[in-house]
Amino acid sequence: MDDLHLLGAIAVLGLTCYAMRVGGYVLATSLRDDGFVARFLRLAPGNLFIAFIVAGCLSGGLPGLIGTLVALVTMAFTAREWAALGAGFGAALATAALGTS
Amino acid sequence: MVMTITSARPDPRTPVMTAAGLRRGLVAALPFILSNGLAGLVMGLTYKGLGLGALQAILFSLLLYSATAQAIILSMWASPLPIVAMVIACIATNSRYLLMGAHLRQLFDGLANRKILPSLFLLADASWLMTSSDAERNGPDAGYFLGASIPMAVGWIGGTALAYVAPLTANGSLRLAAALLPTMFIATLIPSQWKGAKSLWPWLTSGVVALVVARFVDPSWSMLIGGGCGTLVSMMAKTDG
Repeated sequence: MDDLHLLGAIAVLGLTCYAMRVGGYVLATSLRDDGFVARFLRLAPGNLFIAFIVAGCLSGGLPGLIGTLVALVTMAFTAREWAALGAGFGAALATAALGTS
Repeated sequence: MVMTITSARPDPRTPVMTAAGLRRGLVAALPFILSNGLAGLVMGLTYKGLGLGALQAILFSLLLYSATAQAIILSMWASPLPIVAMVIACIATNSRYLLMGAHLRQLFDGLANRKILPSLFLLADASWLMTSSDAERNGPDAGYFLGASIPMAVGWIGGTALAYVAPLTANGSLRLAAALLPTMFIATLIPSQWKGAKSLWPWLTSGVVALVVARFVDPSWSMLIGGGCGTLVSMMAKTDG
């Protein structure tokens, strides 16, 4: 993969993200709050996150499962992202190290 | 494009963009330099583990500026890059910004677009929440939104860069744990999404469909197809609350 291709991809993805950020503001007058699209968008994130986590755990094996569970539980109890990430990272690292030792 | 920041607000209900709001937002969001810095650091380590150069990694964090989108894009990493699937994933995972933007329009309607549209480049979940809360207390001030957004961006982008400057490497178990960070990023968002028993069937559907798609179809599409199916189940409920 050459640098130009990669930079082009980053630019396209960056534009997409910015378009999503300004899109709601610009289109707010035409997006009905009770419409199908608005409701789908409102309900989508949690479901997308779950699907993403399941696929991630599938590819990450036991360290992935343990690390994700520890991050999730730590977040639920502390509501601190840095604490959850640190704990999850440590748990995944320990599980991976035990598996290879 | 000139962004004018005024020094005072004429009426508490009128949307403004003041220097006082900018300072108030900056101070309130200062802790995010640390928390976003740590998250940016681990994201940078993941990029480093993939073999990306510092410039590309920093551009990713600067231009996308979305932990969710960046994490999901990392999970789809392949050669050649599946750009179309990545763009769709960006749209799907950042769809919440449409609603945040629509809400900000309600707050800042009347402000010139040249003032607010550049600031929206830094729109994030936390800055939106903080701005909504501040607007209830002090009136809608786009200066506060911009001020709160800056420390968050500095932390995130600076953290990514730090991964390349600091003598940190990701080998063996560390590399595996770093590769799992995107999944953990997303897991930290789950508690805020839980809506009680109402979430059970949609999430079960999302998980099972994602598992089947990842195992038997294509892992790149498991999140979109699984999440889409789960969302349709969510929509069967009479209310969203």
